[in-house]
Amino acid sequence: MKLSLSWIKDYVQIPEDMDLKKLAYDLTMSTVEVEDVEYLARRFDNVLVGVIEKIEPHPNADKLRVCKVDIGGGEIKDIVCGGINLKEGMRVAVSCPGAVVRWHGEGEPVVIKNSKLRGVESYGMICASDEIGLGELFPASQEAEILDLSAFEVPAGTSLADALDMNDVLLEIDNKSMTNRPDLWGHYGIAREIAALYDLPLKKIEPYTADVQSDFKVEINDPDRCTRYIGVEMSGVEVKPSPYQMQNRIWKAGMRPINALVDITNYVMLATGNPTHAFDADNITDHIVVRHAVEGEKLILLNDHELTLCADDLVITDSEGPVALAGVMGGAKDSILPKTRRVILEVANFESTGIRRTALRYDTRTEASSRYEKAVDPERCEQALALSMQYFQELYPELTVTGFCDKYVKKLERAQIDVSLAWLAKRLGKNLSNEVIQKKLELLGFDVEISGDNMHVTAPTWRSTGDISIKDDVMEEVARLYGYDNFEATSFTTTFEGAINQKDQDLLRRIKEYLAIRCGMQEVYTYPWMNDVFVNAVLQSTQGVLRLSTPPAPDLSYIRSSLLPNLCEAVVKNERYFNDFAIFEEAQVFFDRNYTAAYDETELLPEQKRHIGAAFASSVKDITELFREAKGVLEYMPRYTHMEGFEFRKEEKPVWADNVVWMNIFHGDEKIGDMGLVAKKVSMDCGIKNLSVMLFELDVTKLVPLKSRTNRFTHLAEYPETDYDISMLFDSDAAWADIYDAIMGQKKASALLKDAAFVDEYRGKQIPAGKKSVTIRLTIGSSEKTLTSQEIESAANQVMKKLGKKMGAELRTQ
Amino acid sequence: MSLLEVSVWEPFGEKHLLCVKPDVRVAERIHKKSAEYEERRYSEIGWYRDSHRPLFYDRRTVFFYFTGNLLQDKLDLERRIVMKDKIESILSEVKTRIAAASSENELQNVKSAYVGKQGSLSLLMKELPKLDVSLRPEMGKLLNQAKNEVTELIDAKRLELKLKASEVSPDFDCSVPGIMPQKGGLHPITQMCYDLNDAFRSMGFEIFQEDDITSELYAFDKLNFPPNHPARESMDTYWLEGHDSGSTNEKLCLRPHLTGGSVRYMQTHKPPYRFVYPGRVYRNETTDAHHERAFFQYEALIVDKDITFTSGKVMINSILSKVFGTDVPVRMRSGFFPFVEPGFEIDMQCQVCGGKGCSVCKHVGWIEVMPGGSPHPNVLRAAGLDPDEYTGFYVNIGLDRLVMMRYGVDDVRLFHSADLRFLKQFR
Repeated sequence: MKLSLSWIKDYVQIPEDMDLKKLAYDLTMSTVEVEDVEYLARRFDNVLVGVIEKIEPHPNADKLRVCKVDIGGGEIKDIVCGGINLKEGMRVAVSCPGAVVRWHGEGEPVVIKNSKLRGVESYGMICASDEIGLGELFPASQEAEILDLSAFEVPAGTSLADALDMNDVLLEIDNKSMTNRPDLWGHYGIAREIAALYDLPLKKIEPYTADVQSDFKVEINDPDRCTRYIGVEMSGVEVKPSPYQMQNRIWKAGMRPINALVDITNYVMLATGNPTHAFDADNITDHIVVRHAVEGEKLILLNDHELTLCADDLVITDSEGPVALAGVMGGAKDSILPKTRRVILEVANFESTGIRRTALRYDTRTEASSRYEKAVDPERCEQALALSMQYFQELYPELTVTGFCDKYVKKLERAQIDVSLAWLAKRLGKNLSNEVIQKKLELLGFDVEISGDNMHVTAPTWRSTGDISIKDDVMEEVARLYGYDNFEATSFTTTFEGAINQKDQDLLRRIKEYLAIRCGMQEVYTYPWMNDVFVNAVLQSTQGVLRLSTPPAPDLSYIRSSLLPNLCEAVVKNERYFNDFAIFEEAQVFFDRNYTAAYDETELLPEQKRHIGAAFASSVKDITELFREAKGVLEYMPRYTHMEGFEFRKEEKPVWADNVVWMNIFHGDEKIGDMGLVAKKVSMDCGIKNLSVMLFELDVTKLVPLKSRTNRFTHLAEYPETDYDISMLFDSDAAWADIYDAIMGQKKASALLKDAAFVDEYRGKQIPAGKKSVTIRLTIGSSEKTLTSQEIESAANQVMKKLGKKMGAELRTQ
Repeated sequence: MSLLEVSVWEPFGEKHLLCVKPDVRVAERIHKKSAEYEERRYSEIGWYRDSHRPLFYDRRTVFFYFTGNLLQDKLDLERRIVMKDKIESILSEVKTRIAAASSENELQNVKSAYVGKQGSLSLLMKELPKLDVSLRPEMGKLLNQAKNEVTELIDAKRLELKLKASEVSPDFDCSVPGIMPQKGGLHPITQMCYDLNDAFRSMGFEIFQEDDITSELYAFDKLNFPPNHPARESMDTYWLEGHDSGSTNEKLCLRPHLTGGSVRYMQTHKPPYRFVYPGRVYRNETTDAHHERAFFQYEALIVDKDITFTSGKVMINSILSKVFGTDVPVRMRSGFFPFVEPGFEIDMQCQVCGGKGCSVCKHVGWIEVMPGGSPHPNVLRAAGLDPDEYTGFYVNIGLDRLVMMRYGVDDVRLFHSADLRFLKQFR
């Protein structure tokens, strides 16, 4: 919202020497955010009023003229101009060198310099209104029309700012910061707040009293939706421009002057915050009824949009039907037209939420609706009426009030609040004297009675529409008026009841740090919604998957029940730039099932879990390497993150996985995740080109953190242990798990065996078909003595013998 | 043959001396000519001769000895001067060579050339017995001193070389890039979140985590949002299909903010409360460089009996000093949010211009960073607390924005892009 300081000063006496920066700061700190303080006259630096003395043709251009312009101080300058309405004796706006203009009101601002136009020296420029940002205040009726200032009787050389009353300051206020303060929507409201902040005298707007007797009447059907309606029927008006000062202020506040009748209603709204409306009285049949619309009823608005109304809409009607959408916009039928001679002025109060619903329903937010939906107090109608009548009477001395009706059907009760002074002191963290508290509240229009510890506060009407309702509100009023800067930060005291021990939180963090820092994976974030392409490719079913009713895009409606579709999408996105990478994500997944009430018995929430998912993508590693990398990350996770271990078994192939390369992950008997290679078909459906991708996904909520670290110290070997590698030929489908079990299982092949480790496996030229060579590293040692080489070899031989017997393995000879 | 020639006389190479007899005969022949000079030496020769030890060292000493004595016929008086001169000339030569030595190898060569078994000083030493008995103590001392000096100089030079030395050749290129230890990393928002968790944990705050799907009841009702508050509309909130109508406890959505979750925490824990609540929230918005549909909030709440509204400044300062590493000036100004009373907009001094005003802070010197305030009595009531007894302070900070400020990121959408080119930068 834009506010004119000179307008505010109509209502509050701000000292001339007031530092405006401080005013803006104080308002920002205590009331509303002042986003900008603009000295309006600066827009018109170096723009003067000049008088055209003589117009001569341009020697080299048909459309241009050379004007001799008196710019004051006895100076006559040649200015080249292409304006079509140039006249000798005309007052014009001259942008002298240094002034800033926009060519034809468009594009970037340009600084005017002395220049030659088609060979003729030109001093600055004679401006059209939009070239100096005045297009809305002085709309041009045709192309290339120069702003004619002849009506402003000022001498040549007068600065344009002086001539047009632009020596003003505009305060730009963030609308968001005043949604809860309907009383501030208007110059008077801000003036009242400034008066309170600085204890300055505020001008009262004297109420209007009608002295007419007539049968003009207004009927209100729903007092909850329309609490007050004042109708004033007047004759003796006509459509004409409003006085320049009124136009000037309407323009400064960001609206467009139209004609005197409309301008008065807008001006009053900008002054008081209470919207008003004027109907052409000749088009109103019988009297005014405020009622709910009939379902399906039609109304053509001022902007020519035809609405089909519903019963929740409130309309202003005459006996023939709706004439306006109450509090939102007038109808076309009864609007002010050039022929208008009689008007009905509407000064009304409508309930906020109804206005909001209607404005939203028809996507018609107007200056009026945006004010009503903040909850305007009905008492404000008095001010709006008084100001309206003042201007009507000023502008139309011939005016007669032929009818008046003030239907005030639901009176506003002022909010009453009891506040304990001890409570107040405790919350403020500061002991303010009763006098200070009382004074601050009274400045804001509150009535205050103090007896003992109790302070009885009555809020002013303009703060009683919901804004002030509890004692905390009163505390806020005291604190902000005293100044938030004047309260020192008080630290809170801590009582330690033992260390905070959040094992689940710690585990989650350890897992993520393990993946990122130890395993070299990159954490990514993706959205909770999944693209249909990846849902179809990876999940292959939407059974039990929740959907958004208004998704960000039609193909992003499913919200994730697995992290894998989005991880695959992330792989696709990165394939362009990387050929070997590993990523992971931790996030919630959602299922349309198991609805439970955990917090409130009426609130049933769907099953929600926390997963960790990962993708290992590479076009440079072979599948075995990639598989072992992913599996290694999982296998070592429990040890490095201090949680109970898990096992890998093959029970149920994940739908997205390759037919051979996959495992389920179990904690005890419970399946807590999957791992596997993305099947070629899935990979193609995802749009993955050359990468092989291993995925895993784990349900974090099923992971069990250890109470403490469980790894135990083992004594260092007293006698040396020896690593002894053997390579043997096995059937190609022999599993390492079985080989290991044969060597190290319940009956160890040799008592001297400490461990057996997989080194590698090989299938190839020298290996017979259907066989593979596996290299095993045996650790052989004794706790009693240093072994001789014969003893070591004999232990290894025992292993080989056992493998031969149990698994049919042969020593590799080549 | 002259004395000087003796020291470099090559026919005494090992091969030749393996043949013992002829050389002894030569020695004897020379001896016969000079036997009259020294009886004792003769017997020594005899010892050599008799023992027939075919050793190179002994052979050569014998020969050397005789050579010296042969010449002593003429040079007897000059013996001492010559010896001294020789020592000095050797010393000066050896010093030059040591100074010039640039490697351990060279130094080793110098050592064996002068003080090694066949070194020139060692050879001189073997000449001593040829000298007159009266000269021997003095010359012996001189020689020993010279030998010691050379040894010390060599040791000193050796140390010097070691200090200057390198394992590799001087053309080793130290500008080649290192090998990255690990290529992974946490998301920059996770990093920020963990930084803040650490700070708040140290102040005795718990960390709370909650589900993303909530109901209108918790997202709005319990937070004192009036029934027609604009935020409830679908244009701002992602409602779930099939759960987007009915009473507020039946309407489910992706949480639009974290504060409803705070009520859940309070419902299930005993006061006083001191906890932080990081999490992702969702708004149905049009996205651009500054607006996202999914973003991270970090909520901190303290609720206790005797708390003033200014206690919040301590929390705010903790957050900002942790993020920016220095104390950042903060101001609390009037602001309105349904779930707090009083409510504040909390601004921090613009870190780009230091509060002087610049384009980043729109020339006001302050940047809005978070809302805050005391929980509204209705919110405390919803959590089952008596607002006359308890109060508190809450802040809710947008982590995305804070991370953007910390690193100068200019597009919020990058955070959810999963683009490794972006994420790699925050390790």
